Amino acid sequence: MTATLPETAHEQTDKYARLIQPTRVHGSLYTDPEIFAEELEHIWYRTWVYVGHVSEVPEPGDYVRKNIGPQDVVMTRDRDGEVHLLLNRCAHRGNLVCDAPSGNSNSFRCPYHGWTYRNNGDLLGYPYNKGYGGKGKLALGLGRIPRVASHQGFVFGSFAPDGPTLAEHLGAAAGELDRLARLSPEGEVELTAGWLKHRTRANWKLLAENETDGYHPQFVHGSIFSVTGSPIGALYSDNSTAVTRDLGGGHSENDLRPEFRRFAEPMRWFGTTEDRVPDYVARMRELHGPAAEEILIEGSPHVMIFPNLFIAEIQLFVIQPLSVGECVQHSTAVQFKGAPELNRRMVSQCVGSVGPAGMLLADDTEMYERNQRGVALRDPEWVDIRRGVERERADENGFRIGTATDETGMRGFWSHYRNLMEAEK
Amino acid sequence: MTAAATPTALDLRQVEQFLYREARHADEHDYDAWEALWTDDALYWVPAGTPDGDSVQRMSVISDNRSRIATRLKQLRTGKRYSQSPPSNLRRIVSNVEILDDADGARESGDITVAANFVLVESRERGNETWAGRTTYRLRVVDEQIRLAYKKVVLVNHDRALPTLAFLI
Amino acid sequence: MTETETDTGIETESGTKSLTGTVGSEFAEVAVSIDTAANGPRLRLEDRRTGRVRYLDALELETLVWLPDGDLRRLLDPSAHRWHDDAGS
Repeated sequence: MTATLPETAHEQTDKYARLIQPTRVHGSLYTDPEIFAEELEHIWYRTWVYVGHVSEVPEPGDYVRKNIGPQDVVMTRDRDGEVHLLLNRCAHRGNLVCDAPSGNSNSFRCPYHGWTYRNNGDLLGYPYNKGYGGKGKLALGLGRIPRVASHQGFVFGSFAPDGPTLAEHLGAAAGELDRLARLSPEGEVELTAGWLKHRTRANWKLLAENETDGYHPQFVHGSIFSVTGSPIGALYSDNSTAVTRDLGGGHSENDLRPEFRRFAEPMRWFGTTEDRVPDYVARMRELHGPAAEEILIEGSPHVMIFPNLFIAEIQLFVIQPLSVGECVQHSTAVQFKGAPELNRRMVSQCVGSVGPAGMLLADDTEMYERNQRGVALRDPEWVDIRRGVERERADENGFRIGTATDETGMRGFWSHYRNLMEAEK
Repeated sequence: MTAAATPTALDLRQVEQFLYREARHADEHDYDAWEALWTDDALYWVPAGTPDGDSVQRMSVISDNRSRIATRLKQLRTGKRYSQSPPSNLRRIVSNVEILDDADGARESGDITVAANFVLVESRERGNETWAGRTTYRLRVVDEQIRLAYKKVVLVNHDRALPTLAFLI
Repeated sequence: MTETETDTGIETESGTKSLTGTVGSEFAEVAVSIDTAANGPRLRLEDRRTGRVRYLDALELETLVWLPDGDLRRLLDPSAHRWHDDAGS
């Protein structure tokens, strides 16, 4: 850094270098409203953020209400099949245009004064047009998220008109979405089971960090593991061969494949056996031949895609921050096109696990909320993220990996977070 | 079948007494007594999004068959279900109780369908939550005891983001 | 698309249709139904003679209701859209 930089930039850089250190992060990162405001500008309104899936707008004219942090977004599919991300704000006086959570309409009419837009955001017209000198006189439209891109049907938006491409943002995490999609007999994921919305009085980063924290399951979820005899707990123990991987770009995963390969049982990743889902397994074998065994044994990823998409095998979560101390977790069951037998089971299992009453997620959420109250206390000021730092190593692809219970993912998250927060606006 | 065991012989007062007892067991976390109310073909359902959706193919807040009710209660009994450890302090008012005789399928199976409104205050360290909604019950007389075959709770805010709901609603 | 007539409507690959019927004359024949395969209901119109399909959403239908006869007459001019010099069919 040179002395010619403005003072404010200095302060900014110094601030995040002070608050984010290699093995600890400062409690104020979770509680300071000013930091949250900066996160909106540097992360949520700049980098690629997951918004929705193409299967939620299957037909031309379909739309669905979505969000990027506190921003109200409408995802639409136009007559040509293109997906748009629009801001739900009338160009006239800023009223919300769409009210229904989803629908089919090729145009939107604001209820306030009747201004009407195409579902790509273009202004179609306004009532009593002489007041504007006639029709077509206004170069206005719905706000648009300038960059929209998708991978395996997962639609991401970036408020930055330019910057890294989605492929660059996803990096190695793209492969995890590929791994998910290949479990479909038709190669397509569908998010069509509906959503649970879980209001959480905690900072969004506590959720993002927890998603690939392999240290907590035995404690937070011990109650459900003990009554169901679930083998999940053992995946996250000192004896586990699973690894925690920093995928770069703030993304991380618990790679459970070493454990599943050890047992080499198809469908063990889903906690079942192949005879329970015979049609699915048969279709996969028909499609992939001998390669099906590896796919059916390795199963689905457990990956946190920065900053807001978390896929935990059969469950999918979207983190929506609302303020420094509040967010909403949106959750649904992953569905695979062409796998009705498996899909039913995935919904059932997911309903038992996630959401406000979920036998897993209610307890995670209790921890987030307790954690939020805890980090506001004055001493010690720091949150420790050093677990496994000494035994961490690079894997064959150069990614940092730790054991199943190490905080390697969190360190990757914070390193990327710091880069974004220190970047010039 | 005796007159007492004939479902249609249940009068509103008997039905209300049953609903109040069920509510009290839930409020007081009396898991054994609450569990004993259920029939084997039970469905305990709290829909999300569209309340008239599908309890099997769509995401629900709760969609428990009898076996999953048992699992949920076992988890609560461990004392390590942290979202209910310590348990929430709860009190609910059940009101507007009506016996509905036109509900789909209920009459055929001999069950009677009852609907009621409720308001519930939950207190825990996080703060107070007010819960409200409409509950549809299907009741069945088994060995001269009223039992619960179905409980569907449609929260007034079922389509909004809900806080943690780990107690028995 | 394979279709099976039923009492309640027509089952198709894309979704269930209800209120099916045909509006026909000696000049044109259009199958009409309400399609529920999308995120909301929409009117499905199929030109029986060519198989061409158009969907109309509620706002578009309301607009048609309010379309002045003169505008509709202009659309009916055979050279307006379909049989003009550089269009087929």
